[in-house]
Amino acid sequence: MFKAFIKKSRIKSPWLLHFDCGSCNGCDIEVLACLTPVYDVERFGIINVGNPMHADIMLVTGTVNHRNRKVLANLYEQMPSPKVVIAIGACGLSGGIFREAYNVVGGVDKVIPVDVYVPGCPAKPEAIIDGVVTALGRFQEKTQALRTGT
Amino acid sequence: MINNYVLVLAGLAAGPVIGGLVSGADRIITARVQSRIGPPLFQPFYDVAKLLGKEAVVVNVWQAFCAYAYLAAAAISVVLFFLQSDLLLIFFTQAVGALFLVGGALTSTSPYSQIGAHRELLQILSYEPLIMFVIIGMYLETHSFKVSDILQWQEPLLLKLPFLFVALGYGLTIKLRKSPFDLSTCHHAHQELVKGLTTDYSGPFLALTEIGHWFEVVFFLCLSALFWATSWVGMAILLVVTYLLEIIVDNVSARLTWRWMLGYVWAMGLALALVNLIWLYAAR
Amino acid sequence: MVSDLTTILILLPFVSAILIYLIRVSAIRSLIVLLTGFTLIACSLLLIPYAPFTWSPHALFGVPLHGVVQVADFVLLLVILYFGYIRRSILIQALSVFQIIVMVYVEFFMVKGPISTDIFYCDNLSLIMVLIASIVGSLICFQAIPYMKNHERHLHLEKSKQPQFFLVMILFLGAMNGVVLANDMTFFYFFFELTTLCSFLLIGHDATEIATKNAVRALWMNSLGGAAFAVALPLIYRDLGHLDMQMVIRTGPVAGLYVLPIALMCFAAFTKSAQFPFQSWLLGAMVAPTPVSALLHSSTMVKVGVYLVLRIAPAIQLNFLSQTVAVFGAFGFLAAAALAVGQSNGKKVLAYSTISNLGLIFACAGINTPEAITAGILLIMFHAVIKALLFLCVGTIEQHIASRDIEDMRGLYAHMPLTALITVMGVIMMIMPPFGMLLSKWMAIEAAARNIYAIIMIALASALTVMYWARWAGNLMSDPYAGRQFLLKLEIEKQAALTWLALLSLCVGAGVMSVAAPWVYATMVAPALGGAYVPPFTMGGGGLESTSGTFAVVPLCIVAAFGFLVAIWAVKRAMRARVVAPYLSGIQTDDPGVFKGPMNQPVKAWARNYYLLSIFGEERLTTWVNLSAGVLLTLMVGGVL
Repeated sequence: MFKAFIKKSRIKSPWLLHFDCGSCNGCDIEVLACLTPVYDVERFGIINVGNPMHADIMLVTGTVNHRNRKVLANLYEQMPSPKVVIAIGACGLSGGIFREAYNVVGGVDKVIPVDVYVPGCPAKPEAIIDGVVTALGRFQEKTQALRTGT
Repeated sequence: MINNYVLVLAGLAAGPVIGGLVSGADRIITARVQSRIGPPLFQPFYDVAKLLGKEAVVVNVWQAFCAYAYLAAAAISVVLFFLQSDLLLIFFTQAVGALFLVGGALTSTSPYSQIGAHRELLQILSYEPLIMFVIIGMYLETHSFKVSDILQWQEPLLLKLPFLFVALGYGLTIKLRKSPFDLSTCHHAHQELVKGLTTDYSGPFLALTEIGHWFEVVFFLCLSALFWATSWVGMAILLVVTYLLEIIVDNVSARLTWRWMLGYVWAMGLALALVNLIWLYAAR
Repeated sequence: MVSDLTTILILLPFVSAILIYLIRVSAIRSLIVLLTGFTLIACSLLLIPYAPFTWSPHALFGVPLHGVVQVADFVLLLVILYFGYIRRSILIQALSVFQIIVMVYVEFFMVKGPISTDIFYCDNLSLIMVLIASIVGSLICFQAIPYMKNHERHLHLEKSKQPQFFLVMILFLGAMNGVVLANDMTFFYFFFELTTLCSFLLIGHDATEIATKNAVRALWMNSLGGAAFAVALPLIYRDLGHLDMQMVIRTGPVAGLYVLPIALMCFAAFTKSAQFPFQSWLLGAMVAPTPVSALLHSSTMVKVGVYLVLRIAPAIQLNFLSQTVAVFGAFGFLAAAALAVGQSNGKKVLAYSTISNLGLIFACAGINTPEAITAGILLIMFHAVIKALLFLCVGTIEQHIASRDIEDMRGLYAHMPLTALITVMGVIMMIMPPFGMLLSKWMAIEAAARNIYAIIMIALASALTVMYWARWAGNLMSDPYAGRQFLLKLEIEKQAALTWLALLSLCVGAGVMSVAAPWVYATMVAPALGGAYVPPFTMGGGGLESTSGTFAVVPLCIVAAFGFLVAIWAVKRAMRARVVAPYLSGIQTDDPGVFKGPMNQPVKAWARNYYLLSIFGEERLTTWVNLSAGVLLTLMVGGVL
């Protein structure tokens, strides 16, 4: 019974870590807009914690470049399971229009596993919130994976 | 004897239940003050349950020790209060927990934890004398340190100890981690130290520190409640008004530096406490 | 039986000391130290059922005892004069000449007939002091054996100075027992000055320039106290016709000049216990080898001052002198705690903490109510044991890491797990309930609540105390990636057996005493209050209860033990948890504490404790503190005159 409550709580209390991997800040502004009174994501229990050790969901914007790929990996490793990663904006999906530049890795999923992709340039706040909600549905599978060790 | 068991259980339950509900109400009212809607009332319980269900990740195993010790000490202090024991003893027991929380943060070598821990020590330094003066003031008025005797005092203590209540207010602001004194860690926005004191706690251990914090909030509210212990209505009004003032102060002030905190809290708190204590001495 | 035990307790150390100095074989020396220590421990324990008692021996092996002590006294003062001469210290020479003149006057021109009814008097307060000196003192001497061996090895000494060292250390134990058992004030004065000489010799043991300078300072400050005590003697004899301490106390304050000698004795006590403005000698004494700091400058010699004031407290109840002593003590508590916050040198932190706690005991004696006196006695007991433990830990650590700075003790758990744990235990026992120090502090605060000056300073100081202890304990356990190392599979570091014996027995002893605190109170402390005070506490439900407060010692100990076991279980579980680096904004590397900095170069992250030097720095604060202390002392003496 307590397990069921914990399962419900994962959906009711997703804490975010927002990381900018070389974005132009367009998507970042849209993410931060979600926290303002206009969209007020705290209604859903979402808090933007700046610390991977406290976070469940990592929102990554920007193409990843060779300098910050290690940082991205470090942060992902420091997050306790269950965790989901959401790549935001065209750059996060595949590198966007910068895909061919020499210093660009080209997409978050080249460094860490991504669960939800939110397209857009920049992605709209509503789309971001939709992405987070989709990600919440993934927690169930994540816990399953944890328990069975896959 | 049975009575004592009931009180112990009530104390153990009061922390999570009342503390959590107060925390939830706090977040809703803060949100409304900021023109937002805010989370549901039971949000803190969801937060804690989620944290308990996370993978255990540690920087240093002593964090686990310290998180449990913090929770234990905070819980014991509330239970002792419900058992109506000696106020000074209860306060020192609560202080044990606060010190273990600091110790746990010091065991991590991240500068964020280290500085957060030292700021927390400075916060403890700021409020501890004030709380001791409040307890001494209660003793001077009721001639006893025991909660059982204070509860039997016929007059609301607020009448004779008004300045000490303000001094307690400073302590409460610091303990609730409200601006301008939320230097070491804070509930809402992150700060220049990421999460300061609790940066390297995560998952279940963070949940324990949160529950420990609820126990501490309950203890301080109980201490405030003693100022109008003669009637339930009066007590309720006092607590509600005090807490609302805390929320308003939180929302209108910015976070300030430790120097300002130490100087201001000690200067104002000492002055207020001194005046009130001198009244009590003169009245004896 | 009583006479035999007392003789052994006082004289055996003198004999052993001479043997140690003459026999230059180190194995035999260690054996003598061990035998003496165990004998002293046994005798002090055997003395317990006999207290209270009095004893007036007339002769020592046929020689009249008074004569022996008179001669010894003059010899001692001449020795001090000699040291003053060869160290070129005018102050010491002047003070010792002054004391010689006063003693000549008292012994040859003033005193006619017997000066005391009882030479030795032992009530529970003396008994407690004897137990502390014998048990804690002996354990420290045991630890000194391997410590000094290492010490001399580090210094590459060709000729060992251990004979002189142990001569004075063991001799001191006898002097200590003599001081607390003496009732005849000339005997007290003799042993008092003997402890001063021992302190001087031990501080200057390493014979470096700074050691010699600090030893001289200690000698003149303590001689100042001795001189004050000496002046008190003719004043008392003139007023009351005898020099029997118990009778002096029982006569009670008869106003006028009678209070002046008591004030002078308090002044002597303040210098002995290194209260402000005389604290510099104790801080300077930290250059001595750590067993010296543990024995003289925390558990025993400095306790003579507080012992003296607690002893004469019944005589000054309700007197203005008592009030000034209370305020002065509380001030010492506060000022020393503030100064300790600004210190990073481990031994200086311990020194300031000692001065601080001694100030609190003085405040208790000055407040002079039954609760306060009880608190003072309990503080003496617990502080002696725990502070000795902490000094021995710091000494052991210092020999291992060649530094006494707290910053260098960061992460000590990785190199010296058991010592680090014992030190942390010591710190916990110092500041947290349900242990004895907190019990005594709780009692002291409740006793002081009616004295507005004292309570304000005590409350502020209590908060400062917590600050400097907590950061030290946290630093010791600070360790990145501790999950990847041995953790609870303690790879116990190598130390001499005697070191472990001393550390563990002090640690366990303090713990046991804390749990048994209600029984300790009922059997040892309550009878010590004597006829002057009504015992304030009753034992109820395994705790101590009074009309206005309660402290449930045993229930809290049980709950604390349970909580401790739960926390240890949590640690064991956490050993299986996933270990990650401390948060360093994601730029951490695999090397603990190192992050990738500019130009991809590794940078070591480091942090330092807040010492708040701009507020609590020693240079800044000491001038103000000494000034204020001077004002308070003038108040005390002036109020008496």
